[in-house]
Amino acid sequence: MSHPTEDELVDLAVGDGTVSPSVSASVSAHVDGCDTCAATVAELRHTAALVAAAPPSVTWQAPTDAVWGRITDHLSTEELDADGLDADGLDADELDADEPTSDDLPPAAPARREPATPHTDDELERRRAGRHERDRGGRGRRLSVGWGAGLAAASLAIGLLAGRAIWQPDTPVQPVAQVALSTLDTKQDEGKAAVVRSADGLDLTVATSKPLDAGDGYLEVWLLNSDGKRMVSVGVLAPGDKASFPISQTLIDEGYVIVDISREKFDGSPAHSGDSLLRGKLPA
Amino acid sequence: MHVHDDPDVEAADLAVRLRAGDQEALAEMYRRWSTLVHTIALRSLGTREDAEDVTQQVFVAAWRGRHTVQPDLGSPAAWLVGITKHRVADVRTERYRSHRNMQAVASEVATSPVTVDDSNWAERLLLVHELERMGDPRATVLRMAFVEDRTHEDIAQTLDLPLGTVKSHVRRGLIALRDRMKEVERVSSH
Repeated sequence: MSHPTEDELVDLAVGDGTVSPSVSASVSAHVDGCDTCAATVAELRHTAALVAAAPPSVTWQAPTDAVWGRITDHLSTEELDADGLDADGLDADELDADEPTSDDLPPAAPARREPATPHTDDELERRRAGRHERDRGGRGRRLSVGWGAGLAAASLAIGLLAGRAIWQPDTPVQPVAQVALSTLDTKQDEGKAAVVRSADGLDLTVATSKPLDAGDGYLEVWLLNSDGKRMVSVGVLAPGDKASFPISQTLIDEGYVIVDISREKFDGSPAHSGDSLLRGKLPA
Repeated sequence: MHVHDDPDVEAADLAVRLRAGDQEALAEMYRRWSTLVHTIALRSLGTREDAEDVTQQVFVAAWRGRHTVQPDLGSPAAWLVGITKHRVADVRTERYRSHRNMQAVASEVATSPVTVDDSNWAERLLLVHELERMGDPRATVLRMAFVEDRTHEDIAQTLDLPLGTVKSHVRRGLIALRDRMKEVERVSSH
């Protein structure tokens, strides 16, 4: 006998007893001797039992706004900067947007390196044209492609950091607040943190005067609440000395104003290790 | 006219775009399903911190593993939930290990495993999500058939629908949900 139809298996598995006895008997006889159909019947019964046990409604709980920023940040620092995202869907301009290169230096500064060596005259021409367009038109086009809003904000801030414009008085984007980061024991000033307004909200930018030692773990940036009881992780500080993380105004308003960089181990624990390297409190 | 009656058509298109490396597809998937992923993680693990961490890991893993999504299975929601289930299990294993280590240090006695909450949050919440998305009358028919255990005839009379329509909703609906559950199982058991 050929396999029963899926409909017939549903009727057998969870039918309401109204299928004709002769049909039911022949389907049932087949299923007894067929592992595949028996498995399907078991799956259907399991699913029906889950439906029966499903709560009538669920209070859905969305993650906080910071999570998407952490995702794009993670992907941009690890995959765009390190070895580039897969070639599909990305062209050279988009890669430039996420990589702090000469393009992001102020126009007056000499270009230190080309993003890549052009292979043909055509390509060289295209790159030049692209750069001119960018110099005139700003970042709008680049930000409309590539990663979503979170990454767009992040790459803007990374670009600013790379150009060191953020610490200069004539910077077009004024930090909302900034603070020196110092070591907890000797109070040595070894970095800076700033909250800057980006196109999509707020970014926390962090820069250290020299790369921090992550030991055999990694570095994580936190915002501690001034009540001393609560904290949120804003992201992982990739090797290097600068990074930017999208944050929300709500966090600042709620008192998460102490920037903290900790050394974390790869131990699977999402909690703060207690090993803080640098810290500073943003002015109100 | 290019109007999709079936939201799955559009959702399957997201899977195609993700596979092709379209970053906007990941952003759209996050908009649609991050709440589902986060709620599953929160119910399974109990803390917001862990839940957000898992949510982050799920979408990073979705991007890196985008070649494993199967557009022919329709909506990638079940695929994301499978990844979520896997990550939740990882966090639980990690908790169990650290718990065991702590106990071992404290008492040097081999300990009984900590209670594992195996209440199938991934499957249960995906089901509720799918029922909500499925809309009426199919969702109502399924609930009446399986929650209230009513006969198809009874449901047909109550909802004023032809009996054949009720039977069709029960069959199509249950098979669709079964496919989602299988997808969760396939992805989470890797």
